[in-house]
Amino acid sequence: MLKVNGIYKAYGTQEVLKSACLEIGSEIKVLIGINGCGKSTLLKIIAGIIKSDKGNVLLREKNITHLAPEERRVGYVPQHPALFGHKSVIDNIRYGMRNGLGSEELLEDLLSMLGLNDILNKKPGELSGGYKSRVSLARALAPEPEMILLDEPLSDIDAAVKETLLPEFRRVTKLMNVPVLYVTHDPAEAEQIGDTFSVMQGGRVNDIDSANHAFEIIKKDKLISV
Amino acid sequence: MNKSSAQTKYIPKDIVSWFFLPLFLLLVVFPLLALVWNLKPDGIVRTLKDWFFWRSFKNTIIAAFAASALGSVLAVGFGYYHLFHKNTFTYKLANLMNDLPAAIPHTVAGLALLLAFGRKTCGFISNTGLAFTLFAVVLAMFFVSYPLCARTIASGVDGTDREMVDVARTLGDSPVQAYFRIVLPLMGESIFAGFVLAFSRALSEFAAVVMFGGNLPGSTQVLASYVFTKVEEGELEMAVTASVVCILLSLIIVALLSIRRRKHA
Repeated sequence: MLKVNGIYKAYGTQEVLKSACLEIGSEIKVLIGINGCGKSTLLKIIAGIIKSDKGNVLLREKNITHLAPEERRVGYVPQHPALFGHKSVIDNIRYGMRNGLGSEELLEDLLSMLGLNDILNKKPGELSGGYKSRVSLARALAPEPEMILLDEPLSDIDAAVKETLLPEFRRVTKLMNVPVLYVTHDPAEAEQIGDTFSVMQGGRVNDIDSANHAFEIIKKDKLISV
Repeated sequence: MNKSSAQTKYIPKDIVSWFFLPLFLLLVVFPLLALVWNLKPDGIVRTLKDWFFWRSFKNTIIAAFAASALGSVLAVGFGYYHLFHKNTFTYKLANLMNDLPAAIPHTVAGLALLLAFGRKTCGFISNTGLAFTLFAVVLAMFFVSYPLCARTIASGVDGTDREMVDVARTLGDSPVQAYFRIVLPLMGESIFAGFVLAFSRALSEFAAVVMFGGNLPGSTQVLASYVFTKVEEGELEMAVTASVVCILLSLIIVALLSIRRRKHA
């Protein structure tokens, strides 16, 4: 279980997160919100990349708020694949397994489920966008993280490839049986991948029953702001 | 017609080529050509037979290489602070000091080094401390060339995808590990450029080198101070030859940099 309690973050006078709260069990929770509403900031606070001003993050009832990212066991998939260009695909995927984390069995499962076995010795520069995203996901999951955070991981991918990738992403992340937080602003993507849904509004997170509901709320917000 | 378009109408289209090309040719190209023009076979032969010339050539290469190697190591450290600790006092001080060697007269830099590592503080090493040794030449060259290397590496760090660092951190890397395993291997081009620029700057240093390292023929004399000595001695033809060698060395360095850039483009 991942619990996020009362996270507050401001950059100067601009308040980005105002007491954001979130609870995720072994499910895929999709966090929906307009661009710049603080979704990525919240994700990075959970990952430990950014420090919050107030609030705490609990993972399996352990307070990890003050832990560095390397001590949190988080699988983080950023918006752009951010593959290590000087390393081969397999070295990218094995990167987080250096300290004895993960297992060869899981690695083999990930490689075959994501169809990566034929490209293991290639360099990231030789891969298509879809394969880069798959490698980025496999790299995050190989060390068996205790939570998975995906920050619009398919935003660079065209719609046809996304159709193929989403079921793969869902199947693979479900395999891990840990809390998954998936950020997107695409309604179809949210419906296809998510078990539960939340919407981010005014620096706070509210649970909702469906992705479509989130987009109705967002539309209203946009209209008001226009 | 509005006011701004009326103003632009009176700016001649070729105004930049009118002043740029003549001034560039007169102030940059002409002095270099003047050196080559004054190159005399007799001067070349006498210089190439001069043991002190070859000694100053060797000193220049060794000291400039050592200074830029030391500069690169320090600049790699600066790059780390630039990436992870921009809000610290150490970074702010280092960043400020990067502009100082370029801004102060290099005689002042030489005097500062003399006072810091000379007889008063390092008298236990020798009568003159570290001053007037080849090591002093290295330190003087380092002092003026390091900022170039640091700035180049900092630009390389800025060009690195920050998300790669974030991912490396979540995959178990401390900031230092992420810097050495992920950031630096992708910055080969910047490190090479920083080294070459620092080397090039070190080659050309005169004032700081003479103040701290001295101009002892055969011992701490470098090409720049050899040229100065030959002019003082009235051996203009030998000074011209040594100057052309300096220019050739710089041209080789610039060519190396541009070939490598083209390869990686």
